[in-house]
Amino acid sequence: MISRLRYTFREMWASLSRNLTLTVAAVITSTVSLFLFGGTLLIQKAFDNQLKLWTGGVEMIVYVKHGATEAQVQLIQEALVSQATVVESATFCDEACSADVARALFGADPAALEQLLPVIPSFFRVKPVDTDDGAVLRSLKTEFLKLPNVTEVRTPDDAVDLLGQLKSFFGVRTLVMSVVLLVASALLIWNTIRTAMFARRREIEVMKLVGATNWFIRLPFMLEGLLQGIVGGTLGSAALLLANNNWTTGVKDFPVNSGLKAFVVTGSYPVWVCFLMILLGAFVGAVGSATAASRFLDV
Amino acid sequence: MIKLENVTKSYSTEVVALRDANFDIAKGEFVFLVGPSGSGKSTMLRLMNRQERPERGAVWVAGRNINDMPDAKVPHLRRNIGNIFQDYKLLANKTVFENVAFALEVIGRPRHVIRQQVPAVLDLVGLGGKQERFPHQLSGGEQQRVSIARAFVNRPLILLADEPTGNLDPATGEGIMRLLDRINKTGTTVVMATHDQRIVNMMRKRVIQFDRGVIVRDQARGVYE
Repeated sequence: MISRLRYTFREMWASLSRNLTLTVAAVITSTVSLFLFGGTLLIQKAFDNQLKLWTGGVEMIVYVKHGATEAQVQLIQEALVSQATVVESATFCDEACSADVARALFGADPAALEQLLPVIPSFFRVKPVDTDDGAVLRSLKTEFLKLPNVTEVRTPDDAVDLLGQLKSFFGVRTLVMSVVLLVASALLIWNTIRTAMFARRREIEVMKLVGATNWFIRLPFMLEGLLQGIVGGTLGSAALLLANNNWTTGVKDFPVNSGLKAFVVTGSYPVWVCFLMILLGAFVGAVGSATAASRFLDV
Repeated sequence: MIKLENVTKSYSTEVVALRDANFDIAKGEFVFLVGPSGSGKSTMLRLMNRQERPERGAVWVAGRNINDMPDAKVPHLRRNIGNIFQDYKLLANKTVFENVAFALEVIGRPRHVIRQQVPAVLDLVGLGGKQERFPHQLSGGEQQRVSIARAFVNRPLILLADEPTGNLDPATGEGIMRLLDRINKTGTTVVMATHDQRIVNMMRKRVIQFDRGVIVRDQARGVYE
């Protein structure tokens, strides 16, 4: 057993050093592709965080006709609260409360205020349950408009839609790009192993003829590919952590109204992504090299 | 030790390498396979160590039909068969000792066994003092002796030799034949494909003659013809 292990590691090391240029190329490709793959996951997560921040403050304003009676307001409130699956809370602001809000907003424009106050509507602040989908908000708006004495419903559905579109746009494209690069790195590792095996085909033929098992022959090559994948994953992870750290630090200095304060990923998530990257690198390396090795064992 | 029953092997619909071959080789026999190029001698050797499989018929080695043998068992079969080639198939970057040790190393023999068996077999083939040389520092005959040492170091039951004297001058070829004869006398079955008329006539062993994939002669203590 010890002599087999010694042989396996000696052969792996010999093969790595013999094909140094190809090895470096395979490691660089897997580093870049795994970096992009991890970056995609972090970008998706950052969009999620940003969306949560935005939609956490989403409120729908349901305006009630000026002069509506208490009974009519009560009826609307009951209708809103009854939709517990889509409405988290509904807070009423009567005409006096509404006038205070108007005064706060239009204090500098007494003429507008004078026109508004005699017809000022009361309103409900409605907090929906699922707010990261503009379509849900629009459907709620349509429902609420059907209620008697409701004159208008305002929602930030366009802003929510925009962020969703951005997430999907960047998410899909970066994911496609990283998958393409992952395939490229698997092929490059595959090619490195094939070249290594081609260079040693005579040795492999002799090994087969003297009774070495396929696994015995394959193992050093598989370890070589595995090592390339792991090194690629580790370097990609280090680069990703560095880039994420730079971005997170940089965003702190952005203006408050930049809208990007939450476009960061902190906590243990980046570490999990790095762990996944190393695992994926190992998998791609091992599978690529095992497939390549199998093609030379038919002696 | 080796038995062929109605073996047919073709590489395409037009190229039939062997047609209905039948013979039986007993343990410890020395057998020459003779015939012109393309007559089926090398195919016969490749069938015996499962590098090829026949379309029809059965190849028995040491009591087992190796056509039905699962792929995973083939390495164990090959540990009982030594192979010698016309072009020696030595590894240029390994010394004589390492070339022979390689055959034991890849089947997982421990280091102390390798240290013991390799010098012994190198002494047997007459290369005791040349363990640290590389193949390019040896003559053709010496390289073939390394190849024989590698094939025999694991003490196989059978040695398959494909034109082992094909690249050697007559005197060196005779030396190689004397060595194979000595190995045969230890009880190892030797099957050798050759064109070398002089050697076949000198050795006077069993001769199986092929012509276009068909066995046309099987003669004990035969000559080339």
